Amino acid sequence: MIVCVAVVGHQNNPLYLQSFTEADDALKLHHIVHCSLDVIDERVNNPKKTGPTLNETFLGLLYPTENYKVYGYLTNTKVKFILVTTDLDVRDADVRNFFRRFHLAYVDAVSNPFHVPGKKITSRTFADRVSDIVRTFGLGTAV
Amino acid sequence: MEDYAEELRTPPVTLIYLVGCPDLHPTISSYLHSEQPPINTLALPDFSKISILGRTQKETVDSGQHGGILKRDWLLKHRTKVPAVVAALFSSDQVSGDPAQWLQVCTDLENLKIVVRGRNIKLVVVLVQSTDKDEVSEDRMIALRKRAEIDSKYLIFFIHNDASELTESLNRLGGALAELANLYYRDEGRRIKTRIEKKNFNHIELNIRYCFKVAVYAEFRRDWVEALRFYEDAYRALREMVGTSTRLPPIQRLVEIKIVAEILHFKMSTLLLHGGKVVEAVVWFQQHIVSYKTLVGAPEVVFLHWDWMSRQFLVFAELLETSAAAIPNTSSLILGSSERLLSEWEFHPAYYYELAAHYMREKRYCLEVALSPSETLKRIESSSESVIQYVFVGQFARLLEQGEAFVMQTLTDAEYVHYALAEGKRFQDSYEIIALLKKSFESYGNLKARRMASYCGSQMAREYFTLGEFSNAKSLFDGVASLYRKEGWITLLWEVLGYLRECSRRLGSVKDFIEYSLEMAALPISSVAESSSCKGEYGPAGSPALPQREMIHKEVFGLVKGEPILTSDEGNCNLAITDDQPLHLEIDLVSPLRVVLLASVAFHDQVVKPGVPISLTLSLLSQLPHPVEIDQLEIQFNQSECNFIITSAPKETVGASSVGETDTRLDSVPNLNLVTNKWLRLTFDIISEQSGKLECLSVIAKLGPYLTICCRAESPASMDDLPLWKYEDLVQTFPTRDPALAFSGQKVVQVEEPDPQVDLVLDATGPAFVGERFLVPVTVTSKGHAIYSGELKINLVDARGGGLVSPREAEPFSMDSHHVELLGISEPDGESEFQAGMDNIKKIQQSFGLLPIPFIKLGDSWCCKLEIKWNRPKPIMLYVSLGYLPNSEAGAQTVNVHKSLQIEGKTAVAMGHRLMLPYRRHPLLLSKIQVASESDHSPSLALNETNILIVSAKNCSEVPLRLMSMSIEMNDDEIGHSCTVQQGGDSPLDNARLVPGEEFKQVFSIIPQLSFPKLAMGTVSLRWSREFGFEEQSCSSLTATKVLTCYKLPDVNVEMVPLIVSLECPPHAVLGSPFTFYVKIQNETVLLQEFKHSLGDSQSFVLSGIHNDTIFVLPKSQHILGYKLVPLVSGLLQLPRVTVTSLRYSAELQPSLSASTIFVFPCKPQFMVDDMGSKLPEPIAT
Repeated sequence: MIVCVAVVGHQNNPLYLQSFTEADDALKLHHIVHCSLDVIDERVNNPKKTGPTLNETFLGLLYPTENYKVYGYLTNTKVKFILVTTDLDVRDADVRNFFRRFHLAYVDAVSNPFHVPGKKITSRTFADRVSDIVRTFGLGTAV
Repeated sequence: MEDYAEELRTPPVTLIYLVGCPDLHPTISSYLHSEQPPINTLALPDFSKISILGRTQKETVDSGQHGGILKRDWLLKHRTKVPAVVAALFSSDQVSGDPAQWLQVCTDLENLKIVVRGRNIKLVVVLVQSTDKDEVSEDRMIALRKRAEIDSKYLIFFIHNDASELTESLNRLGGALAELANLYYRDEGRRIKTRIEKKNFNHIELNIRYCFKVAVYAEFRRDWVEALRFYEDAYRALREMVGTSTRLPPIQRLVEIKIVAEILHFKMSTLLLHGGKVVEAVVWFQQHIVSYKTLVGAPEVVFLHWDWMSRQFLVFAELLETSAAAIPNTSSLILGSSERLLSEWEFHPAYYYELAAHYMREKRYCLEVALSPSETLKRIESSSESVIQYVFVGQFARLLEQGEAFVMQTLTDAEYVHYALAEGKRFQDSYEIIALLKKSFESYGNLKARRMASYCGSQMAREYFTLGEFSNAKSLFDGVASLYRKEGWITLLWEVLGYLRECSRRLGSVKDFIEYSLEMAALPISSVAESSSCKGEYGPAGSPALPQREMIHKEVFGLVKGEPILTSDEGNCNLAITDDQPLHLEIDLVSPLRVVLLASVAFHDQVVKPGVPISLTLSLLSQLPHPVEIDQLEIQFNQSECNFIITSAPKETVGASSVGETDTRLDSVPNLNLVTNKWLRLTFDIISEQSGKLECLSVIAKLGPYLTICCRAESPASMDDLPLWKYEDLVQTFPTRDPALAFSGQKVVQVEEPDPQVDLVLDATGPAFVGERFLVPVTVTSKGHAIYSGELKINLVDARGGGLVSPREAEPFSMDSHHVELLGISEPDGESEFQAGMDNIKKIQQSFGLLPIPFIKLGDSWCCKLEIKWNRPKPIMLYVSLGYLPNSEAGAQTVNVHKSLQIEGKTAVAMGHRLMLPYRRHPLLLSKIQVASESDHSPSLALNETNILIVSAKNCSEVPLRLMSMSIEMNDDEIGHSCTVQQGGDSPLDNARLVPGEEFKQVFSIIPQLSFPKLAMGTVSLRWSREFGFEEQSCSSLTATKVLTCYKLPDVNVEMVPLIVSLECPPHAVLGSPFTFYVKIQNETVLLQEFKHSLGDSQSFVLSGIHNDTIFVLPKSQHILGYKLVPLVSGLLQLPRVTVTSLRYSAELQPSLSASTIFVFPCKPQFMVDDMGSKLPEPIAT
């Protein structure tokens, strides 16, 4: 289950962060998303280590915490998408698919002429679309 | 890792015993210990001690009902007690001595064999000889070997008196011991391995124990691969035991399994990491955690599970850390070599430390839950006494005293739980957690993972907070908060600030408390959107929502108004602001409190005259959730007399002069209320009397009686966005009503100087000439100001840009490289004595001058002249600026007047020259024939011939000039002798006046006296001056200065002339009367010369003489050809063309047309008769 998705801007500032849990761990998820930026920095700054993922937007598993797994995605405009899930066994293809759809939703949201680039995304449509994507995570390929 | 026993942490070392000959033991022990691999030695002085090797009664326990997996002391026993080999040392005299001694040897050997054989321990017999001379008889040797039942190679001769023999012996002994030890461990391992293979065990515990033993024996042999394999087997078997074993009460059973699993896993990780297999180790560790994580166990001892988990992570972190130090290139491991991609942090100990801390926190929580029923506490205290670790690893028992002996009694689960709780209470988990987090924090910091580090930091700080160490917590939280502020993680910042606020409350620091509270209240946490999603633990901050912000706002402003806040829950200490300790907050450009109060100041103009009012807009913005009422605003400038104060009370304005005694202006506005996110704009007029920069420095807001906030003023043009709020989706607002001013407004205005009331006049007549000292009169006239301590600055600048210096061009006339230079400043005549005193003050450089001018009364004027000399024709700009003080008071401001003037520099005289040969005389110049093609050769002159030089000087200026003299000056003595220059024409110049455009010519004759290819002819010096008109001369004091213009004549090529052809004929002829025309050919060489000559016909003359011929001219002699001619027509006629050709030089000479013309009069001119003799021949003579 996806517990949290986040969009992080150039200056590593959160642009959108939504958690999907009933539990009281929103703050913890904030921490997880924030800490995962370190891994993204590391991967972006030392691309030779990751080898095959060079020039790829999907950054893969960023780091496992005790209960969660964190995946990352970096757009060409250096906006980061972060996904936190509780599933211990996640297929890479599912995550890639998720990020692809999420990216499309993000592009639509920032293409809104009333959106100022670099500011938080407050669009309700975007939020709805994201929760839709989150809900169908893993289903599309399973069927 | 330090909790583990030494024998677990280090690889096992072979153990052997030495018996007999105690004096040799130290030598042998130290040798064996330094072997590779080392061998530990236990030395027994004599054979009577050998019984300690015998089996003890522990066998009985082993076979008892109560089993376990691993025995606690087994490994230690094999490392410190049970040897692989026993070396029996006998001296040779014992063996070869009398029968009694031999009998003793045999007895000792027998005893030894009995002990050794039971455990399969290998035996080595060492025969100690002092030298190799003392032989032992062959029979005795065989007897000894048979007695000992050993192979002959394990009977070793040990010779200790000779150094080389000793080394040899030691090597022999060491080799035999190592071999036998290896054999022993292999045999033991094999023995147990067969038991495993035959499944020769009743319990699964035994299987595990056997695997463990095999692995340890393999380790003794340094067979790491086998060791690892059997540890893995043991580990797997152990994992299967979970849920199947029923041997112990359930709680203790799980505890035992976990502790054994921990040991096995530790062994495996160590082996893997020391083998450099980091990826495998990490994968193993993950599997280990995954398979045991869910085995939480009984609810009352959950804390034990978390404790165990925490220890796993800690130990693995420490292992990683030590192995990373040993194997430096772990960081460059290729990730994802296994099928599962491992992320970066999993190779760094920091990750594991952090998780260890996490589980430790979990443990503490569970322990607290378990301890909370207070009634159990007492019982725990009593029942946990005398519980010790049992012989098996991971088991505990109670030690009971029964008479003399101690008896172990097993525990029930309830007893064990009590024991565990009591043990758990002994540890201070918080400090443990802090230590773990600190390690993680530092490790992440070294990895430059700042966010991870600050997460650890915040966790650490929270631990300190719960421990009540608020200053530690505060300093950590401060570091964390700065990162969150920078990156705009508002929710995280909110939580941290909440802690910080609480810390400063507990520490009683009012200023910090107010700062953190204000920052929290002004955080961009919107009302609806976030509050729903932000549930959970936020520490003392409360949930991040607008109501909470409002609450904090109210609390702070209550405190500001004088309502104290309790600093601690007990309520014995107050946090309050009192009038003896008023509070002053500073908000600078990087302060996080900019969101609380932002002051933007914009002048409406960029420059202003002194004394003229200028509008200033002060805009204030606050993001606090409630309106803030400001009591008083003070605006401070760098010119303190401009400072003013704004109050909000309109009724007090009339009587506001009460503040007037402090010389501070007081203004008032009806409303000083700051509404959330709405600019408060106030516009005032400022008058500055002082020229220079007027800058608004700060705005001090007074809130309530005790709190002042000093806000650094910012220019709207260069103002940064508000931190944190800039990411919010808000409507953009401008600090000023006029958006243009919001983009360009500055907090600085330039106050101009007062207008000068002094005239500065630069006079210059016409263009300046190169070489002349050009005078520019400067007049300073006081019109409205008297001039005190005035100063003139003079600057010369190239009008076309570029410098006045050109380093590339060599300056032939002046050694100075400046094209235009300021030579000096001459002051009025009347003050010449004054000038002498000021010379040292005057500073004049080539293009810059500084001149102090004396005091000038109102209405007076003062004049000086600048002398400027042009070395090159060049237009320049002359800048003169006058700075003065209008009065002599101390605070007077300098007033500046600037004037500039462009002056052309021109060449006044254009000089030229022409070289001519004498009339009708043609020396043969060989260079002309040879290098005719080259165009740039210097003119050639004939040696010792008279040449004519005409120098012309043309006035190219627009004013008449007066020439004074023209002469050729030899500038070099040596060459000066080489040619003679005579001035042609005896008339001096007589101050010839040269009107514009007129050309003056002067003729010189030059006779070169030295054959030289580059003969310098010298320099023409022309002295002239500007001629002023009558009226100019009378009205101005300009005096004509003599100017010297130099013109360098080109170098000439002087050469010997072999032949000279000259024509001679009368200056004129008369129609019909014959005259003679001679061609003289002169041979200057010492050779016979052959010539051809020819004469062309002419219709104008009848002539007699040879037309064509070839003649020979003797050396140094002359041949004259004479022709008689009768002119037939009158007028300017061409003489018949004469051509002379020298065959030797193949040079042809044809006189030029001008040289071969003659004027023929129709009849004899009567009027010229008198003059003819004197005047006409002259041109020929020169």
